[in-house]
Amino acid sequence: MNVLNESTNPATIVQTSRFGEITVDQDRVITLINPFLGFSESTRFLLRPHSPKSPFMWLQSLDNPELAFVVIAASILNLDYRPPVPAQTLKDLQITSDGEQDILLILTIPRDNPQAMTANLLGPVVLNSNRRLAMQIVLDPNKYDPCWPLFADKASGKKKS
Amino acid sequence: MLILARKVGEAIIIADNIKVQVLENKGGLVKLGVDAPGEVAIHREEVYLRILEENRKAAMDTQADLSAFTDVFPLKESVEK
Repeated sequence: MNVLNESTNPATIVQTSRFGEITVDQDRVITLINPFLGFSESTRFLLRPHSPKSPFMWLQSLDNPELAFVVIAASILNLDYRPPVPAQTLKDLQITSDGEQDILLILTIPRDNPQAMTANLLGPVVLNSNRRLAMQIVLDPNKYDPCWPLFADKASGKKKS
Repeated sequence: MLILARKVGEAIIIADNIKVQVLENKGGLVKLGVDAPGEVAIHREEVYLRILEENRKAAMDTQADLSAFTDVFPLKESVEK
């Protein structure tokens, strides 16, 4: 039996398909202002590093145990990516300065060929980590690739050196 | 599907707070103006569907094993085996 609910910030036990039972500190829950397109039932997420040194993070739904995305911070990629965040989004996320804004990219990682993973630059997730508010925005499809390969050129370029 | 005929300049109202107006009709290209509260998301359908598809793919394929990827991450140029 779990008796973890006595602290001032009650922790909740959540069952997830990937991580099993996890304890969620309510202070760390990220709320989506708008749910991800296609997953309207999920508005509460937890951001967990994949492992201490990994650049990958998991965005695990607390409303749907089956739902998790692998994400990466756009800022650590070797990529000039400064998407225009709509004023309404900044307002909704209570972002008042650049420093409060993080951009996460959702990765699509083919199970049989993880090397072919791509990042969705068309629909990035804007996060205010202080307020723990986030939402996915939709950009101009003429300018942003929904399937940007992370390893394409670098892998082939390095092997032949 | 509800079908309404509208001329340029005419509009329809959805619920109490969304107005969609036909602004122009030139050579098969129709320009619509949408007035809606800021929290109402408005997307071109094909872009909406593209994001939807990519989200579903991303969510479905998360069973992939990531453990190998600390080595091949693009920023870690100097990591050699």
